Amino acid sequence: MTEPGLNTEEFQVNMGPHHPSTHGVCRFILTMDGEEIVEAEPVIGYLHRALEKICENRTYQQCIPVLDRFEYCTSMSCNEAFALAAEKLGGLEVPERAEYLRVIMLELNRIASHLIWFGTTSLDLGAITPFLYGFREREDILDLFEMTCGQRLTYNYIRVGGVAKDIPPEFIPKCKQFLDTFDAKVDDYEKVLTENPIFIARNKDVGVMSAELAIAYGVSGPSLRASGVRYDIRKDDPYSIYDRFKFNIPVTFNGDCYDRYLIRIAEMRESAKIVRQALEQLPEGEIAGKSTMNYKPPAGEVYSRIENSRGEMGVYIQSPGKVKKPLRVKLRGGSYNQLEVMPELVKGHKIADVVAIMASLDIILPEVDR
Amino acid sequence: MEIAGIFKYLYELLAGSGLSQTWVDIIALVAAAVMVFGVLALIALFLVWWERKVSGHIQQRFGPMMTGWHGWRQTVADAVKLLQKEDITPSAVDRPVFYWAPIICFVAAFAAYVTIPFGKELIVSDLNIGILFIIAITTFTIISLLMAGWGSNNKYALLGGMRSAAQVVSYEVPMVVSVLAVVLFAGSLSMVDIVESQAKIYQWYIFRLPFGPIAFIIYIIAATAETNRTPFDIPEAEQELVAGFNIEYSGMKFAMFFLAEFVNMFTVSAIGTTLFLGGWQGPLLPSWIWFFIKTLALVFVFMLFRWTYPRLRVDQLMEFSWKFLLPVAFANLILAGWMKYSGWFNW
Amino acid sequence: MDRDELTKHLTELFPDKIELLETGKIEPFFLLKNKDDLVAFCKAINKDEKLDIDYLCCLGGVDTGERFEVVYNVASMKKRIRFDFKLSFKYDGAEVDSVQEIWPAANWYEREMWELYGINIRNHGNLKRFLLPDDWDQGYPMLKNWDAPDFKRMPEVE
Repeated sequence: MTEPGLNTEEFQVNMGPHHPSTHGVCRFILTMDGEEIVEAEPVIGYLHRALEKICENRTYQQCIPVLDRFEYCTSMSCNEAFALAAEKLGGLEVPERAEYLRVIMLELNRIASHLIWFGTTSLDLGAITPFLYGFREREDILDLFEMTCGQRLTYNYIRVGGVAKDIPPEFIPKCKQFLDTFDAKVDDYEKVLTENPIFIARNKDVGVMSAELAIAYGVSGPSLRASGVRYDIRKDDPYSIYDRFKFNIPVTFNGDCYDRYLIRIAEMRESAKIVRQALEQLPEGEIAGKSTMNYKPPAGEVYSRIENSRGEMGVYIQSPGKVKKPLRVKLRGGSYNQLEVMPELVKGHKIADVVAIMASLDIILPEVDR
Repeated sequence: MEIAGIFKYLYELLAGSGLSQTWVDIIALVAAAVMVFGVLALIALFLVWWERKVSGHIQQRFGPMMTGWHGWRQTVADAVKLLQKEDITPSAVDRPVFYWAPIICFVAAFAAYVTIPFGKELIVSDLNIGILFIIAITTFTIISLLMAGWGSNNKYALLGGMRSAAQVVSYEVPMVVSVLAVVLFAGSLSMVDIVESQAKIYQWYIFRLPFGPIAFIIYIIAATAETNRTPFDIPEAEQELVAGFNIEYSGMKFAMFFLAEFVNMFTVSAIGTTLFLGGWQGPLLPSWIWFFIKTLALVFVFMLFRWTYPRLRVDQLMEFSWKFLLPVAFANLILAGWMKYSGWFNW
Repeated sequence: MDRDELTKHLTELFPDKIELLETGKIEPFFLLKNKDDLVAFCKAINKDEKLDIDYLCCLGGVDTGERFEVVYNVASMKKRIRFDFKLSFKYDGAEVDSVQEIWPAANWYEREMWELYGINIRNHGNLKRFLLPDDWDQGYPMLKNWDAPDFKRMPEVE
């Protein structure tokens, strides 16, 4: 880039915190040499709400709505991660129907989250229309959630020991109707973006992450599977009743933004498969175990993790024993590690690529800042 | 209903009213300018509304619906609002440059309409260097972009202005070369001559295989870049640099840039219609209605591009223009020259 | 590898340095008795062929009211092993070594732990303000005895 004898300087550009493309409030300090980025430093903490400290002061059931806000795009997963950990502490058994309802809600929430990702990725790259298409589908899913628990975004549905309410009778026909048209809609999305030469030119070979880099930095979820590592907690460390469903794990090997896109599109289809199977196998029964309003687990500590749409979501709970409130709740979200690895990925790219890489890693800031 | 006759009658009235010839000319030209300006202002208003409706329907929503039948008064409402806005001028700007940039942009956009034929004999002045004049005048917008970027005294505005200028200059060249192919065939730079050389529908330059469609496609791509529309809208990409060269503009100055963009879009569509789609010619309907139908069809194509495609990165954009469009445009020009010289294709 | 095999393997690798906790009955949870053995331990489980721990899930600090604890949750991608271990030490002279040369992911986790608990991390290199505002001067918020004028505790629920 520099000719001998020509004096050039690196300059710093500030991106954010108020920026239309950082998904949440995140600031990047980019050190640039011309149009290329030499170094990128993320500055976070704008969305720190001290959720962990709050949870130390709440009973186990009161923690669930607080943790809804931990990652509001997949609020069901946050509930589930915490509920799993709390149930392991106390050795609680969850009824069969509740397990199936949990799986249905989790997978529908995964589809909704991937639709948000799809919309915001294409919006960041300039194609505004797929955003509205994705949100149109998401409206159907949010209608299903509203029917069940009354909420569209932060559900407070999966409780310690079961779920909060049973599904109304209209749920199953509406869900089936949604699933029947969903595959055709995903085909539509693929038609708009997957073969588009402009989209490919913006995403191929941009932000390549090798498998070693991904594992070293603790990246998980679709971003890890795009780098060739076939690891999905639903299959490799199963929790709940995921071992009863047949679904595939998409894996690609290049590790660039385009691969991460392909994997998430494929995952949407797999989640639809799981929901269909769960609806067929749904048994009758009760939806919550013994009353858990005054849940007092014995002394212990446990770390339980689930496969969120952004990676591994883990909750570590330490309980002092027979007390209503946990001693320590530590939250781990997938976006934290992906933001940690971003400075490595953007070196040598241009500013426009920062936007593309951040969108493809599907980082949302509440998970990072807690 | 041909309206050229009305203008001829009015001019006769004016000439016969006893004023000296220079006064008659001045009044006629001023009247023509005011009329063209009025028509263009209405067209710009219509285009803004139409863009919002088209984008809405592509995105499975309605667009403006509340202000009047299907929201036709929305643009008027927005214009009134913009007029009322406070004209904020940051203190550190370079004042003369900052003030003159939107004016130059606006004037350059409108001045091109001196030689655009709106219909049979509906042209302000049929210069015999018609198309050359239009291309030269529309190049003034580059100066205004650079002035806006520099005058705002803002890192982002400067980057946006420079990128925009680089983009417009790069895509100017293939556009001119593709237009040259048509001019070569028509044998004249005058807009009216070019239209009249496409008297029958099979003579339209878009159908004159093989150089016609290629020239048309190159022209459409280059015109999208000239008017800073997606997929070439890096200078205005909100998602990347928070709105390039016009960050610091608000109120009426911002409205001028905005309107100039839509008028530019209409200009390039009008040129495309004149050069490739046979101008005002068509059966049954009056000529100016045909002109508007064809031009609005091209505008619709530009709108479809905007709401379907993602945008290119700056280096990919430049690469595409210099390494692909320009060689193809030159090859096309040579092909057109050979076709004209060999005489086989002059149907 | 289930819990007993894991315990046996680890106690073979590090006799007297590690023990399975009471709480390890739910999932394998070990206590590393001496925090100075941390880096050696981590290097060993990383390089060991049977364990091959290449993935750090989480790293967090705990204030039990009497002691500090640092919890490490680790996993192996290829061998499908997952276990946790922790260090426990007193408040005075709270210092741990950084494990970021073994698992680079630890960098941000340790920085956050330093900021919220006040546990010093040796060999880290980038202990700067992270989640809290730049001008924070009200101590280490996650400590049990931390208080602030606007910090409200929830009323007890029956």
